[in-house]
Amino acid sequence: MEYHALLFNERVNYMTKYLINRIIRSCVSIVIAVGIVMLLIYSLMDRNLIFKNDALFTHLNNNSKVVYKYQKWEEYGYLDYMTYQDYLNLLVANGELTEAVKNEVSTIGYEPSKDSKLTTQYIESFYDYCDQNGYTPQRLNAVTQRGTKVADGGKPQLFAYKDINLFVRLFNYFGGILKFDDINYVADIENRGLSFTLHDPVYGGEKFSPAIIGNGTYHKYLVYFDNQFPYFHQNLVTVNLGTSYSVNQGVDVFSTMTTSQGSYVKSLITYPSGLTEESADDLHSATYIKGSQKSSYFLQSRFTDDYTNTTVIKNGKSKIGYSFSIGIISVIIDYLLGVPLGIIMARKKDSFIDQLGSIYIIFIIAVPSLAYIFLFKAIGSAAFGLPTTFDVDSLSKAMYVLPIISLSLPSIANLMKWIRRYMIDQQNLDYVKFARSGGLTENEIFTKHILKNAIIPIVHGIPGSILGAITGAIITERVYVVPGAGNLLTKAINNYDNGVIVGVTLFYAILSVASMVCGDILMSMIDPRISFTSKAR
Amino acid sequence: MKEDLKNLGYSEEELFKPFDNSSLNSEKITAPRYSYWQSVFRVFFKKKINIVILSLLAIIILFAYVYPLIFEYDPFANIMNTTAKHLSPSKAIDKFGFSLRYILGTGSSGQPTFDAIWYGSRISISLAFVCAAINMTVGVIIGSIWGFSKKVDIFMTEVYNVIGNVPYLLFISVMVMIFTANFWTMVLAMTATGWLGIAYFIRTQVVIIRDREYNLASKCLGTSTFKIAIKNILPFMTSVIVTLLATEIPSYISYEVFLSYIGMGLSDMSLGRLIYASESAMVTPGWGFEFWSPVAVSAIITIVLYVVGQNLGDASDPRSHM
Repeated sequence: MEYHALLFNERVNYMTKYLINRIIRSCVSIVIAVGIVMLLIYSLMDRNLIFKNDALFTHLNNNSKVVYKYQKWEEYGYLDYMTYQDYLNLLVANGELTEAVKNEVSTIGYEPSKDSKLTTQYIESFYDYCDQNGYTPQRLNAVTQRGTKVADGGKPQLFAYKDINLFVRLFNYFGGILKFDDINYVADIENRGLSFTLHDPVYGGEKFSPAIIGNGTYHKYLVYFDNQFPYFHQNLVTVNLGTSYSVNQGVDVFSTMTTSQGSYVKSLITYPSGLTEESADDLHSATYIKGSQKSSYFLQSRFTDDYTNTTVIKNGKSKIGYSFSIGIISVIIDYLLGVPLGIIMARKKDSFIDQLGSIYIIFIIAVPSLAYIFLFKAIGSAAFGLPTTFDVDSLSKAMYVLPIISLSLPSIANLMKWIRRYMIDQQNLDYVKFARSGGLTENEIFTKHILKNAIIPIVHGIPGSILGAITGAIITERVYVVPGAGNLLTKAINNYDNGVIVGVTLFYAILSVASMVCGDILMSMIDPRISFTSKAR
Repeated sequence: MKEDLKNLGYSEEELFKPFDNSSLNSEKITAPRYSYWQSVFRVFFKKKINIVILSLLAIIILFAYVYPLIFEYDPFANIMNTTAKHLSPSKAIDKFGFSLRYILGTGSSGQPTFDAIWYGSRISISLAFVCAAINMTVGVIIGSIWGFSKKVDIFMTEVYNVIGNVPYLLFISVMVMIFTANFWTMVLAMTATGWLGIAYFIRTQVVIIRDREYNLASKCLGTSTFKIAIKNILPFMTSVIVTLLATEIPSYISYEVFLSYIGMGLSDMSLGRLIYASESAMVTPGWGFEFWSPVAVSAIITIVLYVVGQNLGDASDPRSHM
């Protein structure tokens, strides 16, 4: 007994060591994968492509077109862009320059020889600054028409740019993934600090609901409870996978995937000022915007401080929510149907059922997935009258049916194929012959011995399919217009949204690594023979 | 010794009889002549269904590669003719008179769907074959090295983990964006990382067979690793490779259709592009042929290729030659 306990402990010990080693290696491979993606999109792809569908760009002329290009490139994260004006503002902020002098030197001449003496001096120092910080300065002379008149967009320009190095980019990206909120976020605010309350003011201050409220932090509510899953929420640590530019402007990839969609849900809420009205604002999401309260009467009448930026409550699920609810139901159906069907096929090998199943498997493997999804869509709508497009506002559950079927049918075929293969392979092994000679019934052999061995590789795939449900399915979601996460990557690629591409890649990579590790753990749990400690190569 | 024997009183002939040489030869076991590929085809053609499917494949290839050479096809020949667009087969035949090219009606710019399908098929099938040829060759060679060398194994497994984490779609779309979306760009994009999965599969197979007893024995007798790979393991893998090929070729056609559908496919009118372009026709009453016929043809092509490949894979397993 004691000996067994010792062995078990040792096993767990080795397993932990192996897992830690494995996770560290996986993290390295994730970082390299993100690096490759960054190399692909920032260095290998032609940056001028982002202007392909830009209507504004085609209307700009001369120097302003060039400047616009650099500004956009900065927004998309290709480079660091700094104008001469920015440099002067920096000097003012450092106290090296007064406003008056700044105004005097900020206008540059049509060409270098026409600058005033003082301006030339500051432009020289701008060049020096660029030299020291690795920027490449660029001066565009004025474009003139008929002698002196400045042409459209032809003003003289002076700016500098710096390409962001791949390693710097990678380092900055991973350094900024987790954002910790602290009370020194806001520069000047009175009564900086955290306060703990048992009665959340959002619920009128009477209902018992603990919350931590910050003043000076970015989020107002750092910890709070509400009636939405998972009931307990925090804003202390936020995930920042990368900011979207064109898909969902200015919003982080993670928020894009997790915020709810659909139409507003209005309820009676009491604003901090005491005003009560029907609104969809989620006061728990309030974040700080400097000087916002004073900026409009609307906000002044509702808020008492600058924490005015709130999100709205919507009736639909988030992108991940839709993908996952469709995906998880289909995964459950897959295993409930695929495994028994595969077992039946293996038991009744070469029978009519086996042949029918094989035809189905061949059909799914060989026919392009697009073709059979369209086929199911056509059959579903014509024969059963099921809705073929997804409507976020509709409460009907029928719209989930066709996407779930479209997702399930190929995975069922896949499961059937492998279960059948594994079971048939096991049937010829010595232990089965031995069991048969020992007088066990075919039923016992199949359920107690063959199935137990054949199911192990299938179990390995379970975490993968569950986590895979989060990422969504590209074709299914597109065909049925599901507002899920599956199309995020294709949308981002089509819109050249670099932030989203990198963010989604990281998200996928983490999920795939997690499912591999979970699969291995699960497999070694159900089969004690499998050990990762001294794996024989 | 001889002296002692002489003392026994026997003559030399009685003691030493010449042995009949031919009777030893008659003991020799001779096997019937065995040619591997001959047996493969014998087993393959034993099933009558294979002949049917193979002739179907021949018809498809004939239509995809020979038909476009004989009949000129200009997709925009009828573009100005507003009455020629989106015609169902019966209306098209009424309008243009009976001809093979109108039996599937016409498409959105008045082009005969039948012609468009075979032009598209040629591109899709060529793409699938070229990609499969490149990926299989590279994958099998690298996979065998990967399986044999432990040093390479550690390195390649990490490479596989890294590349596996980069979405395949991203590779393809960036390639398509860097270059223009023509045929060879697509080949490059699909083969840039496509061989890795095949190599991993082959590696696993090699690892399984590598340490079997007969290979260990061969190694003990001093056979070089290269000879073990070529003589002992490659024959064992032939059926695996053929079976893999059977799933690979249809999968490229399928993937090409998928890429076209999400707007990242070829600029030429391949089968996938055809399906993508006529997607709206699916729901429009009377336009159905335009959409369903390329879908059906792509399904037929992939099924035929798959079944031929699977059965060839079965036949190429020497254990089925008995």
